[in-house]
Amino acid sequence: MIITRPIRVGCSGIARLVSAKRLHSHLTSSSSDELSHFNELAKTWWDVSGPQRILHKMNLLRMDFIQEMLRSYVPIPPETDIYVPGYSLDLLPSEISQQIVHEQETYRDEQLKQANLRALDIGCGGGILTESLARLNYIKSVVGVDLSPGVLEAASFHKLLDPITERKITYELKPVDQVQEKYDVVTMMEMLEHVDYPAEVLIQALDKVEVGGWLFLSTINRDLISYFTTILVAEHLIGIVPKGTHSFDKYINSKELVDWIGKRPGFEVVSVRGCMYVPFKGWVFCGDGTTGNYLAAVRRLS
Amino acid sequence: MSMIFRRALASVSTKSVEPKVVDVLIVGGGPAGLTLSAALKNSRITRDLNIQLVEGFKLDGVKSFYEETPELLTNRVSSLTPQSVEFLQRIGAWKFIRQERVQPYDGMVVTEGLSDARLSFDHPEIATMCENVNLQSSLYQRIKELESQTAEGEAFGLDIKDDTKVTSITKDESNDWPIVHLSNGESIKTRLLVGADGFNSPVRKFSGIESRGWFYNRFGTVATVKLEYAPFVSCAWQRFLPTGPIALLPMPDDNATMVWSTTPELSELLTKVEPELFVSLANAAFLLNNVDMEYYYQCLRKDETEGLVDDIQWRIDHMTQKFTEEELDEKFPVKIISVQDKSRARFPLRLSHADTYVADRIALVGDAAHTTHPLAGQGLNMGQGDVQALVNALEQGITRGLDIGNLLVLEPFWADRYPENNLLLGVVDKLHKLYACTSEPIVALRSFGLNAVNQLTLLKDFMIGHVSGK
Ligand SMILES: Cc1cc2nc3c(=O)[nH]c(=O)nc-3n(C[C@H](O)[C@H](O)[C@H](O)COP(=O)(O)OP(=O)(O)OC[C@H]3O[C@@H](n4cnc5c(N)ncnc54)[C@H](O)[C@@H]3O)c2cc1C
Repeated sequence: MIITRPIRVGCSGIARLVSAKRLHSHLTSSSSDELSHFNELAKTWWDVSGPQRILHKMNLLRMDFIQEMLRSYVPIPPETDIYVPGYSLDLLPSEISQQIVHEQETYRDEQLKQANLRALDIGCGGGILTESLARLNYIKSVVGVDLSPGVLEAASFHKLLDPITERKITYELKPVDQVQEKYDVVTMMEMLEHVDYPAEVLIQALDKVEVGGWLFLSTINRDLISYFTTILVAEHLIGIVPKGTHSFDKYINSKELVDWIGKRPGFEVVSVRGCMYVPFKGWVFCGDGTTGNYLAAVRRLS
Repeated sequence: MSMIFRRALASVSTKSVEPKVVDVLIVGGGPAGLTLSAALKNSRITRDLNIQLVEGFKLDGVKSFYEETPELLTNRVSSLTPQSVEFLQRIGAWKFIRQERVQPYDGMVVTEGLSDARLSFDHPEIATMCENVNLQSSLYQRIKELESQTAEGEAFGLDIKDDTKVTSITKDESNDWPIVHLSNGESIKTRLLVGADGFNSPVRKFSGIESRGWFYNRFGTVATVKLEYAPFVSCAWQRFLPTGPIALLPMPDDNATMVWSTTPELSELLTKVEPELFVSLANAAFLLNNVDMEYYYQCLRKDETEGLVDDIQWRIDHMTQKFTEEELDEKFPVKIISVQDKSRARFPLRLSHADTYVADRIALVGDAAHTTHPLAGQGLNMGQGDVQALVNALEQGITRGLDIGNLLVLEPFWADRYPENNLLLGVVDKLHKLYACTSEPIVALRSFGLNAVNQLTLLKDFMIGHVSGK
């Protein structure tokens, strides 16, 4: 795999999004010094008490977000007796409303199970999210793609340890623009802040989403809080993330992202949610995603 | 694909006869193990798990109890807190409880042998007395009900093997999953191994988790007894003697169950003496002072028991003369008139607490994780709390697509339970030690304590909270 490093375009955020050019198909993913950096991380990827503990913990929140979005979009048909408009649910006695919620959730389980979704995890790394997706009983298969042979090897090895992941996951060493098919669930976590041409990568990712399907992504706002938590504290002060993992000018504000996606026909940004790491507690959701790290859910309507 | 990948594939596919593989293997069909099985199959989220339960003894008594309910009460009875009952209701087991054999109680009187101090509580349904086998049977019936509701063509995914012991546990070389070897020659590989296997927990030993604690040098002698008449209000009685507490707990009608905690030597004598003398001694233990009791223990030791029943009766009559009928009713439990044949048994009392309840692919619940003195009736209830927390953790883990054997899934369970259990074990231990003490200043202090507690409603509510787990 040859990755030529492009000439840096000296701008950031929205400017970086719109000015990105398709210079070379391989340029659409990570730049080379970042790749070698992730190779280093691969070895210890799966030790949940090790250096990747924060990432493992962050995965919990990602999964909560993905589950919430997918489940909430399973409609409860109005003609069934478990259909209750949201506001009246609160008016019912708690025992009855609990029972109704239980039946609604059971209904959603059944619907989702029949959906047999296919997922694509872009920038899958060691496979932490890939494996989690694969274990959901309504996901039929997951393809994980990444550009680092090292982490993919670790991921491929690790998936064999569990019959479920062994059966459902395929890892492929390729950039996103070489993925041919479309998927019901596409994920791209903590990737945009590491690439030189995020708009290109986003276009590619959106292109892989099946009509009615989802793109879940997470990245970081370009603000003081992000600088403080991800670079100053995480990399330099407490060292939970190796130095050089992030570069500030690559961060994209959630508003820029929402505006940009909103201009693309057929896509809707369903939710943007902020999240932060609280020592001794782990990752928690916070705010509307305009500061620090955030998750976004995008749906393809047509 | 990469080299490592291919090599790993090869090593997996060339393996010879693979053992059966399950998601959860539960060792122990006691209250904790059966509750966990029923709760996991009841949950919308965990019900798809493939579960194997293994119990060393035969569960015939548990299986037949609901339909062929024995006439006599059994001697292993526990007090269930309202929370435990609520949990059992939630998982659909409580409706299979033989209600005619359980007794809720709403009063509790605590006294002591060295002074007249007393502490009494009145509180609607502090707890409910229930035979362990009744509880296990309700869980078994619930499991059968859930099985009958399985959709056509779908496997239920819970198998119970009784009369089968776990003989050893090893680890799979390729992925480190535990492999459990059984006395019937079978081996089962599991994603998550749960030790609900009681105090001697083979699972805990396999996982190398240390358990700390001590033997109290006390045994609990249990017995099922008949009272002179059915009490008007159902109340639990407990009297702290220097050798340990004696408790009389209500069962339906004129039945009751007792736990007499005392020294190893005395407990052995008490399980063996003539039924008539045992009954007299038990009544005496609630009424007479410690000097009298010491004298009777001495007679037991020397096997000089001739005329002892009459002597006890004489002293009791002498002692009770001072009180009116009403005072007697209020101050002392209804007289015990007989003990059920073969119902006496004794159990060593220990405090123990495992350093952790979780390791990679391992979780411990119930007595495998902790044992306590029965004086507060908490042992089984703590196990119910463990099961609830473990089910919550597994539900959350599954929702997040995690491997349920992973520490990331199991840690919240232990973080949830350890501090609470540790606090309870500590309080119960302190109570035991406080009352095992005969030194005068301490007796004075604690009888002041008991009396003072009785006056202070707020403090009392707090104490009730502890016993009833509220
Ligand atoms: C005298 C006394 C009075 C008590 N009173 C109360 C009370 O009032 N309230 C209360 O809450 N608690 C009380 N307890 C405590 C309560 O009985 C226990 O806490 C409870 O039984 C523990 O349940 P468990 O399922 O964790 O363990 P257990 O009931 O010990 O069950 C463990 C099971 O594992 C099985 N097992 C062990 N090893 C193996 C193996 N190698 N292979 C296969 N199977 C195996 C055993 O056969 C057993 O069935 C009392 C205890 C005593 C001793």
